[in-house]
Amino acid sequence: MTKRINPKIARGSGELAILSLLAEQPLYGFEIAKQIGERTGGALKFTLASLYPLLYEMEKRGWVEGRWQANQAGRDRRYYRLTPTGKRQLAPLREEWRSFFNALDALAGVSHA
Amino acid sequence: MPDWEAFVRSRIPSSALPPEIYNDVVVELASHLEETQLGATAAGLLEDAIEQIILQEVENWRELAATIERAKSHGARMNHRTRSLWLPALITLLGASLSLTLTQLAGTRPRLVWFAGVGIELYWPWLASLPLFGALGAYLSLRAKGSICARLLAGSSSALVMLTVMGIILPWGLLIDGFHFIRLVSFGIGLVNWVGVPLVALLIGAAPFLRGDARGHEAAKAKV
Repeated sequence: MTKRINPKIARGSGELAILSLLAEQPLYGFEIAKQIGERTGGALKFTLASLYPLLYEMEKRGWVEGRWQANQAGRDRRYYRLTPTGKRQLAPLREEWRSFFNALDALAGVSHA
Repeated sequence: MPDWEAFVRSRIPSSALPPEIYNDVVVELASHLEETQLGATAAGLLEDAIEQIILQEVENWRELAATIERAKSHGARMNHRTRSLWLPALITLLGASLSLTLTQLAGTRPRLVWFAGVGIELYWPWLASLPLFGALGAYLSLRAKGSICARLLAGSSSALVMLTVMGIILPWGLLIDGFHFIRLVSFGIGLVNWVGVPLVALLIGAAPFLRGDARGHEAAKAKV
């Protein structure tokens, strides 16, 4: 299993992680946390305390939009979907992180995949 | 299974957010904890391990509450204030103004009423319509979970606007024309005529919607 990334470092990547997931499909909070954990092999882990403030902040900025609807089990869940503004944020954020890894690589020999 | 909503409510105080936003947050966080518990149970973890996982979800509830409040409050408060105060107040004001205009266009003359030796001119049809607009403003504010104060202001907005206008006119008139006792008397009559009596009429309509606390009412109706 991949080593878990320090929460302080992980927090900075949260916006990109959430936007990337929601670009594929609308998800509710628990699903977002679960998928981030699964797809990063547990390296990135979002708890309730780290996920929801970030989601609410992104919602305030108009990047995502939350709406109540029933999930497959018939329970009401707040599904988040990407707004057009959020979609426009995705490419620049990816580029920003790419530049960040390149810079880190040049400085500390931290190569990325 | 624990009552997760009660669990979250006991850890996140409700005071700072509008009730509907607060309830949404509580339900959302509670459902997250519930699914975390169900997932851990399905994975065959023992009760102690599940409890540890739940505890790790939030290390500092006070900090979480403050962060959520910051993230939610600005836009939410603006929207809440608009829906519970400004919009209902505007509707009351427009309704009352339209009613007065129609009354005057219909050629209705004000009726002179003597009160304590002072003659006051009243537009009866207009005054009769004001409880309706007072009720409408207070009702719309109540429906948007406005506080008692917001409902009171929304329901009496047209009289309050008139009071503000007169409050500007009087000092201006005194400044231009100088102080005259008769001017003060006519201002007092105008105040009763255009603020006092309409205010009473508006409040008669608003009164049924001024009772009860919208926040408590909403909390009782909270989603389960």
